[in-house]
Amino acid sequence: MTGRQRLAAAGAALSHQREWFAGTRAEAERGRPLALVNADAPQEIFRAMDVPYVVNQWWASIISAKRMSGRYLEALRGRGLPDDIEQYSALPLAEALAPRADDAPWGGLPRPSLVLAECTGDSMRRMFGLWESELGVPFLPLESAVAENVPTEWWTLMRHDWESAVGPARIDLLEQELRALVPRLEELTGAAYDPDRLAEVMALSNEQAEWNRRTRDLLARAPRCPVPVNDVIPAVMIPQWHRGTRWATSAAENLYREVSALVEKDHAVVEDERRRLMWIGRGLWFDMNFYRSFEESHGAVFVWSMYLALAADAYARYGEDPLRALAARFCAFRDQMYTPPWSVEWYVKEAKEHRVDGVVHLISPDSRSSWFTTHALEAAGVPVLEIRADNADGRSLDPSALHRQVADWIRALP
Amino acid sequence: MAPSDTTHRAAAALRAAHDDPLLHARDWAARGRPVVGYVGADTPVELITAAGALPVRLTGRPGRDTRRARAYLDGAVDPHTVNLLAGLLAPEGPALDLLVLTHDCDASVQLFHTLRELRRIRAEELPPFHFADLLHLPGEATRRYNLRGLRRLADQLGAWRGAALTPAELEEAVAAHNTARAARRELRGRRAAELSGADALRWYTAGTVMPPGLYARTLTEALSAPGTPPPGRPLLLSGSAHDTAAVYDTLEAGGWRVVGDDHDSGDSADQPPVTEPTLEGLAEHYTREVRPATARTARERAGAAAAGVKEGRAEAFLCYCRRHDDAHRWDFPAQRAAAPVPSALLHDQPYGEIDTTGLDALSDRPATEVAS
Ligand code: SF4
Ligand code: SF4
Repeated sequence: MTGRQRLAAAGAALSHQREWFAGTRAEAERGRPLALVNADAPQEIFRAMDVPYVVNQWWASIISAKRMSGRYLEALRGRGLPDDIEQYSALPLAEALAPRADDAPWGGLPRPSLVLAECTGDSMRRMFGLWESELGVPFLPLESAVAENVPTEWWTLMRHDWESAVGPARIDLLEQELRALVPRLEELTGAAYDPDRLAEVMALSNEQAEWNRRTRDLLARAPRCPVPVNDVIPAVMIPQWHRGTRWATSAAENLYREVSALVEKDHAVVEDERRRLMWIGRGLWFDMNFYRSFEESHGAVFVWSMYLALAADAYARYGEDPLRALAARFCAFRDQMYTPPWSVEWYVKEAKEHRVDGVVHLISPDSRSSWFTTHALEAAGVPVLEIRADNADGRSLDPSALHRQVADWIRALP
Repeated sequence: MAPSDTTHRAAAALRAAHDDPLLHARDWAARGRPVVGYVGADTPVELITAAGALPVRLTGRPGRDTRRARAYLDGAVDPHTVNLLAGLLAPEGPALDLLVLTHDCDASVQLFHTLRELRRIRAEELPPFHFADLLHLPGEATRRYNLRGLRRLADQLGAWRGAALTPAELEEAVAAHNTARAARRELRGRRAAELSGADALRWYTAGTVMPPGLYARTLTEALSAPGTPPPGRPLLLSGSAHDTAAVYDTLEAGGWRVVGDDHDSGDSADQPPVTEPTLEGLAEHYTREVRPATARTARERAGAAAAGVKEGRAEAFLCYCRRHDDAHRWDFPAQRAAAPVPSALLHDQPYGEIDTTGLDALSDRPATEVAS
């Protein structure tokens, strides 16, 4: 049986998010402290202090979806700031610098009481520094450290043996930074940090990661792909921003149960599934239907999402000391997806486990190590189609030409 | 006192070291002594010297064929770094005995990750290398992390040469590099009044490829007689670092004179001495004193712009950004506001070149932004 009804878990996540934001916004307007935190920063510390936070990249996605990026980026340009580097991460700052207007997405992001980010790349520290210098919002920076050597199969080690996978130097660094951060957060928000609360938050978020792992494994092993990949993304990502709450853990469990029921009913996105595909690289946010446009014509379905796979492998950290486990969750977070050998070997493992027939690899200017990713997949016998695009907003891609290119490649797959 | 022959000879030696960055490396290698290449403005060169090796900062060479390197180091990576990789893949000088990389900017980290993966999959012949992850936030956690990193590098260097570094060796190396620092400080103080910007840059660059003691003596000798400033409108330069004088030569041929620069290969090379010749002392120094441009805040860079304009009596301020070395652009508005002279931003510039058309604006209007 085939069908196109939306996952209930996705719908539930989207409506929860709206409700949650409206409530958080109202409280912030009444003076409750609010943090703005980068996606790959240890948000759990705020959860353990009961300080509400908004994830910078999530809020950027709302700005983009409401098509406000152009106007907000104008505010950066107007100040002589760049509007063409790390634009996505810069959108919330751009909004804050732009004149307030009635049509702000979801009513607009209230002025945060503080912003927190790791100093990744050369721009993050400067960009977040502008919250402080231009708007008077305190910026709390964390280091983004690099290890000289790492063991390859991180996904087998991270849950329990993170000390050896990540190495003590980086964990010590972030743990010490977090210890120094706590009194500063307490001072800025008036909230109190409670290590027992953090232990609960870590336990809940580990449980959430386990549900995500079950869902990913289920999707990898199902005889035919039971659910379109773009439906899974909001059902995974929104609970991710609520890590450490009962709601998020239940949401991950509900997603698993829903997908599991579909698999049991032998539900399939494509009745006659002939090609299983994997997409690596930036998503085509401007054309989500692209992923589904080869189903009827070619029996081809995209079966893998980086978001679910990361949610399955990248977050769980068990350990006696919750603060150290939290440090271990984030001090090497980006390496898992961006840095070889971790990234490339993980893609190969995921491609094999999902039994994909080929990988479409979108290479944008901010891609990292794309040669190595393609090389590793091909060496493992997985065909790769490389697509080069200057940006992910569609201007540099002609959708019909792209469609034809992928269609021709699918037809020629062995 | 008129410039003597020895002063001229010293100036020529500095120039030669800049023009042929492997000159001294070849000399060392010929005498059977190890050469350690390095990438990263914050490389703890004292440790390399203490291990008995010559630290040589790798420089790019405009015009190199970078196609193979570009395939590996894809995406928005500073072409300077791609050029360095091209040089490592097709070495034209003596083989390096060892390579040390640091985290002075994202491109250096990308280069390290690329080398590490090339080595793992055995795709290319490469010299052995180490990565020293020195970070620069002001917190105590960072200093401790750096101390650990320096200890590790010292151990690695000891293992590499077959004998641990001794305190006496470290002390001697710190002393030698401190004399180089003192000479550079003198250069920094006098360049605006006595030298072309291109020569000042050449003299700084020479210090990254010469033995430290020899460099200190040569630079001190070259500075022993006061120079006469060449003509040109005084300009303060910020933004991307330069490892050759090519862009300076173009600017100065166009009627400017670079009287100061805040990038990692220019006046930022002026550092206080290392006060404690120990790993703890180096950790302190490399955390707090040797901070690459990416580790300085917009406010600090704005302050440096204001001070630099004053010291050098600059009449204009220019932020030059190479393609994919864009982070400086976040700081430009603050620098522009702080520098009481016309300012301009040039971005998307090619490696080793500058498109000067946008600079006309510096003559009259107070501020402008130009992309090539
Ligand atoms: S996908 Fe990349 S840019 Fe988006 S939130 Fe994750 S790390 Fe940040
Ligand atoms: S990934 Fe999730 S949060 Fe991000 S844009 Fe998509 S639906 Fe929104």
